Amino acid sequence: MAKGLAARKISEEKKPLARPVQKITFLSGNEVAALAASQINYHVMGYYPITPSTEIAENLDAMKAEGIHDIRMIPGDGEHGAAGICFGATTAGGRVFNATSANGLLFAFEQLPVQSGTRFPMVFNIVTRSVSGPLDIRCDHSDIMLAINTGWIILLAANPQEVYDMNIVAPKIGEHPDVRLPVMVAFDGFFTSHQKRIVHHFEDREVVQNFLGPFKPTVTSVDPKNPVTIGPYMNDPDLINNKKQLSIAMENAYRVIPKIFREYAKLSGRRYNLLELYRMEDAEAALFILNSAAETAKEAVDILRKEGLKVGLVKPQVIRPFPAKEIVAAMKNVKGLVVADRQDNYGAWGGQMTLEVKAALKDDPTNKTKVASRIYGIGGKEFFLDDAIEMLREAVKIAKTRKVQVPYEYHGANPGDKNYVPKKVFDPIKEEEASGFLRVETDESGKIDVKGIVARNLTAMPKRIAPGHGACPGCGIFTNLNIFMKGLQGHVVVLFHTGCGMVVTTGYPYTAHKVTYVHNLFQNGAATLSGIVEMFEERKRRGEIPKDEKITFLMVTGDGGHDIGMGPSIGAAMRGHRMIILEYDNQGYQNTGSQLSFTVPLGHQTSTSNFGPYQHGKTTHHKDTAQIFAACHIPYVFTAAECNYRDMIRKAAKAQKYAEEGLVFGKVLSICPLAWRTEERLAMEIIQAAVDCCFFPLYEVEHGITTLNYDPEEKGKKVPVTEWLKYMGKTKHLFRPECKPELEAFQAEVDRRWRRLKEMHKNPYL
Amino acid sequence: MAGKARSGGGKVRLPKKNKFGFYEIRMESIGGLGANVAGKILAEAVVFGMGLNASAFSSYGSEKKGTPVKAFVRIASPRTKIRINSPIEEPHVLAIFHESMVKTLPVTAGLPPDGTVILNTKKSPDEARDYMKIASGTVGTIDATDIAIETKSRVNMVMLGAIVRASGFINLDAVKESVREAFEAKYPAAMPGNLKALERGFNEVQFKTFKDDGKYEPVPFERTLPQLGYENAPIGGTIYTVGNTALKDMSASRTGFIPVFIKDKCVRCGECDIYCPDYCFVWEKGIDPKTGKEGMILLGIDYQYCKGCLRCTKACRFGALVPGKESDYNIDEIIVKHKFAR
Repeated sequence: MAKGLAARKISEEKKPLARPVQKITFLSGNEVAALAASQINYHVMGYYPITPSTEIAENLDAMKAEGIHDIRMIPGDGEHGAAGICFGATTAGGRVFNATSANGLLFAFEQLPVQSGTRFPMVFNIVTRSVSGPLDIRCDHSDIMLAINTGWIILLAANPQEVYDMNIVAPKIGEHPDVRLPVMVAFDGFFTSHQKRIVHHFEDREVVQNFLGPFKPTVTSVDPKNPVTIGPYMNDPDLINNKKQLSIAMENAYRVIPKIFREYAKLSGRRYNLLELYRMEDAEAALFILNSAAETAKEAVDILRKEGLKVGLVKPQVIRPFPAKEIVAAMKNVKGLVVADRQDNYGAWGGQMTLEVKAALKDDPTNKTKVASRIYGIGGKEFFLDDAIEMLREAVKIAKTRKVQVPYEYHGANPGDKNYVPKKVFDPIKEEEASGFLRVETDESGKIDVKGIVARNLTAMPKRIAPGHGACPGCGIFTNLNIFMKGLQGHVVVLFHTGCGMVVTTGYPYTAHKVTYVHNLFQNGAATLSGIVEMFEERKRRGEIPKDEKITFLMVTGDGGHDIGMGPSIGAAMRGHRMIILEYDNQGYQNTGSQLSFTVPLGHQTSTSNFGPYQHGKTTHHKDTAQIFAACHIPYVFTAAECNYRDMIRKAAKAQKYAEEGLVFGKVLSICPLAWRTEERLAMEIIQAAVDCCFFPLYEVEHGITTLNYDPEEKGKKVPVTEWLKYMGKTKHLFRPECKPELEAFQAEVDRRWRRLKEMHKNPYL
Repeated sequence: MAGKARSGGGKVRLPKKNKFGFYEIRMESIGGLGANVAGKILAEAVVFGMGLNASAFSSYGSEKKGTPVKAFVRIASPRTKIRINSPIEEPHVLAIFHESMVKTLPVTAGLPPDGTVILNTKKSPDEARDYMKIASGTVGTIDATDIAIETKSRVNMVMLGAIVRASGFINLDAVKESVREAFEAKYPAAMPGNLKALERGFNEVQFKTFKDDGKYEPVPFERTLPQLGYENAPIGGTIYTVGNTALKDMSASRTGFIPVFIKDKCVRCGECDIYCPDYCFVWEKGIDPKTGKEGMILLGIDYQYCKGCLRCTKACRFGALVPGKESDYNIDEIIVKHKFAR
C-alpha cells in the first residue's frame, strides 16, 4: 500500500500558470484518502477499524512505519472511543483525522453533535456502507444520511480523484474562522474505496500544507496560562443561542466553500461547485443522484441524449450545507425529476435527498418540477447502466405526462420465487441425543470432576455447527468450537458477536448453526445474551416455558469483540447472568484483514501495527482478558487450548455446571493461519508452542482459587517465546537485530506474568 | 482526468473495444490465489507502462481465503473516460484461476462469441472446451498451479502472464515492471520466481480457437435473483432451515491438497474428529473390526467440505491420514458422504 502511494512518476503536468507539480498515480479511494491525510500530516488520528474504511488507517500505519508522516495513530477501543480520542485531541489544539463506516459511525454518533456543538474542527472520512440489522458490509448511504443533521459539514466524493481533492479542501473549510466546524468527506464503500483509478495529486506535500496554512486553534485545553472551561452544562435559555451560532456557522460555510473551491481550482486546475450539473443546460427531465452511481448515470445521460431526449443529471458535491438555492436554479426548466436515494427514510415517503429536494423546490413558487423518489442500491446492490437509463426514462415520462404515477418506490427489490421452498437439512437436535456422553460429578467439598472424555465416543455426539461454513482452511475457530461444544450436553443457544465466526457461518440464506443462534453487534453481545437469559427465566417463572426446560447459553466472541464489547461483558459478569462467554483469541481483527487488537503482543505485526524502520510492530503489551474477568470474581474463569483438547472439554463441562450459578468466562487461543502467516497443518504444534513458552498458560479460577492445569516448567518443556514466534510470518521481523529490545521486553513480560500465575496457583488467597 | 498520462512506448491501439470504448478483463478466482492483486498489477502496467486509462476493482466481501472472488480490469484509451462502476459482464478475456469453480459457479457466463477464456488446468484446450462447455471463441489452458509450485511463485503470476499473451497488446515488460513495483521492496527473495512464473504463463499458455459448431449453447451473463425476496422471505432475515450450509460444495475452496484415509491403519481414536475445522469425518456406530465390539467407526472423509488444511494428517498419530495432491485422486471414488448429505 505504502508502495502504491509512492508510485512512480510517469509524467508531470506542465501548466502555463506555473501550478505546482502534480503526479499521476493509480490509487483506490482509501489509498488516496490516506495519501491526502499523510500530506496534510494531521497531528492525530483516532480510529477503529471497520470495513470498508479500514484501509485508510492501515495505509497510514504502513506509511508511518516507513517514516512518511508523523501522524500519531491511536487505535480506539471502539468507534465511540476513537471519536472520544479525536474530540480530546481537537480540544488540545491540533489537526485531527478519523475514518469509519456504517455502524462505526453510529457507534460514534453521540460524539458528532459534541464535536460540532463545541466547535472543534476535524476531518472524518465516511466510507459509506449499509447500517446493520441484518449486517451488510457493502455500500449504501444509510450511514451518512443518519449523520446529516449533526452539525457537520458534509462533502461528497464520487471517485478517487474527488476523494483526494475533497480531503485537501476539508480542513481549510472547517478551520475557516467564520466556520469552525468539523467536516465529513463521504465516498462510496467498495465502489470508490476499493476501486483503483488514475489520480492526480501534488507531488510536494508542502503545496498542500501551504494551501492549508498552519492550524490556528481558537482555544486549547493544554494552555495552563489561559485556563478555560470546555463543554459546560448549558440548559435553557442558553442552548438555543449556541445552536443559533452553529446555524450561522453553516450559513457561513455555504458562503466560504465556493471561495475555497475557487482557490483550490487555481492551485490544482480542478474546479468544483456545490452542485455538479451534467448536461442540464436545456434539460427537461433529470436524475438527482449521489457519488459513484452518478458517475455511471452520466453515461446513461449521454446515451439518452443521443436519442434526442433532453435529460441531465444533478450530483451534489456538498450536502451540508444543503445547496437549496442551486437546486432551485437547476430545476428552473425541469419538468420531471427522479431523485435516487441509496437509503430510505422509512415511513417518510422518500429517501433523505428526495425530501430535501422537494422542500427546496417548494420555496420557489414558480417551480413546476414533478418529483419521484426511487430507493436503489441498498446494501451494495449493484447500480448498472440500465438502472440509470430506467430512472432517466421515468423522469422523461413524468416530464411528458406531467404526472407522477409512482411517487415513491424501491428500484431493484425482488419479490422472490413464490414456489421456492427452502430445503430442510437437519431436524432439531434432541436433548437426549446430545446428552449422556460425560459425567459431571461434584464432591462434598464442592469440587467438580468430569469423567468420560473419550474422543471416539464423542464422535457420536451431534455437532451443533454444520459443515459447509466458509472459514479459511485450517481456521482455529471451528476446531475450538467443536472441541468446546463436545463438553456441553443438552440444549445450547448461542450468541455470536460480529467477527469471523459469525460472518462465515451465517451468509444469507445459509446458516451453519444447527442450534438457535442470535447475532448482535459486538459492542453489545453480552448485554443481548443477558436479556435472553433473563427473559427465559421470567417466562419459566410465569409458566410460559416448562419449568424443567434447560438451556445452556453460550456467547462466542473474538478478542476484537472484547475490545469494543468489553464494557457490556463486564456488566454481564457483574450482574451474574447464568451464561458462558467464550472468547476465541486469534490475536487481531482478522475478519476485517488483521488489524491490531489489544491482545496482540508487543512487537507483533498486524495491518495497523506494521514493521518498518520507524516502527517495530505493536507498541504495547497484550491484554490479559482472563485476569480481567477473574477480577470480576465470577464463579469460573478458564483458559484452554486445542493442543490439550481433553482439558478443554473438561473445562467446557465445568463451565456448563458453573453457569448454573452465574457467569463463566473462558478464553481459547485460536490460530488464524491467514493473519499469523503459518502453515495450516501445523496449527496444533504452534498452539502447543504458545502454551509451552508460557505465553498462553492453561489454568482455571474457581470461586477465586487459581489452579494451573499444565506446568511446562515442571514437565521440563518450557521454551523461550522464540520457539513460538519462529512459526509465524507476522513475527519474523522480531528475529532481526534491531528488534532485540521488543523481543526481550516480550519475553520478560511473558515470564513476569507466568511467575505471578504460579504464585497464584500456590496460594488460594492470591 | 484521463488523457494526461503519456504513453511510455508510442501509441497503443486496443485490438477490441465494447461500445463504451473499454477493453475488459474478468478474473474468476477464490480468495487467496491473488486475483485482486493480479488485476491491480495489470491495470498499473497499462497506466504507467503504456499510457492508457484503466480501472481495477474486485467483488469481495470479508477477508476469507477460499471464497469466490471476481477481479475486474477495464482498459481504455487515454482520452476515454471510465465512469461505469458496475461489474464486467462480457469480458474480452476471462481468466479462471481455479478449475473446480467451473463445476459449481457460472464463471464462464457472458463470454462473447469471439472472447478468450483461460483456464488453470492440466487439460488440453479441446478438453477444457468440453469441460467448460464453451460455444465458441478461444480457449487457453495453462497449468498455473504446478508452474506456481515449480517457480516458488503464485497462481496469479502465471495467470497474469497468460492474460497478457491473450490480450495481444499488453506489454509484458510493463507488467514485469509493475510486478517489481508491487513486490520488490517487501519480498525481494520472491522476485525471480514471480518473474519466471509470469514469463512461463506467457510462453506456455496453449490456445485453440473454436467456431460456433453448435456443440454448446452460449451462456449469457445473468444477474441472478435470489429465490427469497420481499414476498416470501421470512421477516427480519430469520433463517429457519438450520445447518443448511451442509448443502454447499466447498471443494472450490480447497488448497489443492487432501487427506487420504488409509482405513487399515485407523485405530478409531477419534482425534481427527477433534481437530477437523470443517467437520468432514464420517463416523457411524458399527462393529470394530479389531475388537469385535460395538463402537464408533470412521467410514471416511466427506470431501464436499474439505478445504485441504491437512490438520488431520498431523492429528492422526497412526498414519491413517496422509497428505495427498488433490489432482492425483478421483474424489468421486474416495468420497464418503455424511448421512445428512446422502
